[in-house]
Amino acid sequence: MDHGQAQSAFSDFVDGTLPERERLEVEQHLAACIQCRTELTSFRRTVGSLGKLKQAAPPSFLPDIKQQIYRRSHGRFFAPRWKLFGRIPFEWISLATIIAMLVYYLAVLHGTPSGVHPAP
Amino acid sequence: MEATLRFARARRERGPYTMSLAERLLIARLKERDGQAFDEIVQLYGDKVFSLVYRMLGNRHEAEDVAQEVFITVFKTVDGFRGEAKFSTWLLRIAANQSKNRIKYLSRRPTDGGEIDDALQAPATAGTPAPVLQGHIDGPDVLMEAAELEALMQRAIAALDEEHRLLVILRDVEELSYQEIGEITGLPEGTIKSRLHRARMAIKEELDKHTR
Ligand SMILES: [Zn+2]
Repeated sequence: MDHGQAQSAFSDFVDGTLPERERLEVEQHLAACIQCRTELTSFRRTVGSLGKLKQAAPPSFLPDIKQQIYRRSHGRFFAPRWKLFGRIPFEWISLATIIAMLVYYLAVLHGTPSGVHPAP
Repeated sequence: MEATLRFARARRERGPYTMSLAERLLIARLKERDGQAFDEIVQLYGDKVFSLVYRMLGNRHEAEDVAQEVFITVFKTVDGFRGEAKFSTWLLRIAANQSKNRIKYLSRRPTDGGEIDDALQAPATAGTPAPVLQGHIDGPDVLMEAAELEALMQRAIAALDEEHRLLVILRDVEELSYQEIGEITGLPEGTIKSRLHRARMAIKEELDKHTR
């Protein structure tokens, strides 16, 4: 194995995804080659430094997004929530409306009409 | 079209993904437009998405804007999410695509396209160009300051084309598995590995130039 072959296997070598036989060959080469050992140290440092590039979202991130959604949907996007009971299911609202209409209908049908007198 | 085919092929090879119960419940609440579920999603994945977008663009202001758009898109299109992939994978795919779109858009703008943050530029002393850009730091044992190293790394990443940049960010910054990277990019593992290696070597060369 030459320098080029050894170095082209660095990624798999560092990730631990190199097949056993090739890994041994790389290790053998490294044991005998100071140049590739230096390159490997630098390669490892590169990969390690990349791992430190994580970046936390700014603290205002969540409120900013919600504000955007609220503004663009004119406040209609998020489902409304009741403080105590959670969201009122749409079915309940329909049911309540139907019952109210039924009650009104019965009241109109059977109630004593006031102010209306039968013709003599 | 080609990308869709690649996704389909990748999915067939790996078999269908099954969502965990917690994941399924959270998505179900999100589909009901539950504001609290949205908060949870942003808290869970906000940093991951922001890291990806920020490192792709190298500009904090643009990154904040794009990362916000990612979550707005997620919320608008979650009805179409069928759970064939992990939710985080789906989310990061949107983040990757929107980052690329913004890069394209910024590069078309003649005035200030693709700027890197001032904070990420090498520290410039009055009147002289940034020393770290051209000068060498003496001896390999000299420890670079963290901020300086970060700036150097960001510039090395920015010098890659966006496909290589995305792979190195997904693997080494976000620390995702090759399978997840395959699902996000639609690329086969062999291609991912060879491109990733090329990208890492290019960044290493940059780092070596300034530290040897
Ligand atoms: Zn060698």
